[in-house]
Amino acid sequence: MEQQNELSFDTLVIGGGIAGSEAAINLANLDYKVILVEKDLSLGGKMIHLSKVFPTLDCSACITTPKVSETIRHPNITIYTYSEVKNIVKVSDKKFTATLVKKPRYVNEDLCTGCQECEDKCPVVVKDQYQYDLVGRKAVYVPFSIANPRVVNIDIENCILCGICEKVCPVDAIDFTQEAVEIPLTVKSVIIATGFELFDPTQILRYGFGKFKNVVTAMQMERQLVPTRPYNSVLRPKDGKMPDNIAYILCTGSRDETVGNPICSQICCMYSVKQAQLLLGALPMADVSIYCMDIRAFGKGFCEFYQQSIGMGVEFHKGKVAKVTEKENGNLILRYENIENGKITEVEHDLVVLSIGVLPNPEAKLLFNSPVIESDEFNYIKQTDELVCPPQTNIEGVYVAGTSSGPMDIPDSILSAGAASACSANYIRN
Amino acid sequence: MKDEKVKTIDVIKKKRSVSAETKQQHKEYNRIKKLILKSLEPEAKTIPQIAEETELPADVVTFYLMTLRKYGSIETGEIDDMDEYFFYKLKK
Repeated sequence: MEQQNELSFDTLVIGGGIAGSEAAINLANLDYKVILVEKDLSLGGKMIHLSKVFPTLDCSACITTPKVSETIRHPNITIYTYSEVKNIVKVSDKKFTATLVKKPRYVNEDLCTGCQECEDKCPVVVKDQYQYDLVGRKAVYVPFSIANPRVVNIDIENCILCGICEKVCPVDAIDFTQEAVEIPLTVKSVIIATGFELFDPTQILRYGFGKFKNVVTAMQMERQLVPTRPYNSVLRPKDGKMPDNIAYILCTGSRDETVGNPICSQICCMYSVKQAQLLLGALPMADVSIYCMDIRAFGKGFCEFYQQSIGMGVEFHKGKVAKVTEKENGNLILRYENIENGKITEVEHDLVVLSIGVLPNPEAKLLFNSPVIESDEFNYIKQTDELVCPPQTNIEGVYVAGTSSGPMDIPDSILSAGAASACSANYIRN
Repeated sequence: MKDEKVKTIDVIKKKRSVSAETKQQHKEYNRIKKLILKSLEPEAKTIPQIAEETELPADVVTFYLMTLRKYGSIETGEIDDMDEYFFYKLKK
């Protein structure tokens, strides 16, 4: 692995989602020098992949992309995408050391124009993780259309080493000689904005995700609802049929001790209500039913948003779905106990959406060597002074922003990032 | 300069090889791609029609057909009379 000279900044922000970008911009506007490290190929986190936000139904990408552009263009922010941080050590007050590992894209980022000529000619197709496996992508690819930086990446694990990309690149940007680079870092403070993980629904075998192709996750539905959708319309993955009777199963992987996640994910009720409304717009003849224990519409405008969905015709059924089975035609039978009348009920739908919950990102804890970062009982980063200084962790000078500290929606993540940047600035200044 | 750059593929070929799984995936993609494109040569078809003709599972047809659509080989046509399935055709 190649070694480079040490870099020095005021603050290290780990994670380039909405919280990380917000924290970095706040500090940069105060004239602090910030390094933002994102493990993925683009900034924007999960928010950049969403269709609309609740309860306002504003376009998610229209909010995220200007924020991402502002982050990338800010003169006080240095960005490393497709990079990771490890071995963070607190050496003394206001002095942390760390190692930054920049992984090879096999593309010269300064030369690549994102023209995608290489992607067009690449003969390899694998599942597109940015479309949640609904469609394929090439081995050399721009991650998604609004990715920033808009630079191709070579998926070397799936590359057949044919060299076509290198031959067709008009600016000679392809470079298979690249290797991972390690760069030593020194910073005065750290902000953890590593976000959350999505629950893997294959853990709940009785819902049949992975086995029944017409059982999809809410993120797969989210992608079907964006303008850059994988299909030409909202369609069933099994056979391309336009669905007209869609079911949502709430609390898939949240509020469930049996899968090790007893807490509420806070966003699933409202994103399901949002998707139901969007589906009624995209498929005006469709019926949408939501199966839930209850609806938690706790935020500003949430209850009105929920009532609006009832007014639009979304049906809510109280009852936890016990089992999903598939018919020969791909339709699905949901078996559940109707809490309101106590009867076991079976209902047929032609598409089932699992409203999957959120989980802590386990990588956040592995970043620190000394001292070790503490986590709470649910494995999120522990907030040691939640009432007086919510972003404070057990290490002075290390702050947590967004969903690294627990499930929350987008406005709360941005607020949390604001608090983390204020605490970080205060720590450096004093 | 161009000749010099082309050699970088040779550099990595000396360091790593393509796994048997990757080769197999690539062959499978090419096989399915040919079947789908051939099926659409005479006329536009729905996904179940292509699946029946090619004897491929319908979900496999959906995945690869949508990938071919994404990269411009196929385009979407009209929806059928029952408003259920779209027809897909070769892009000319």
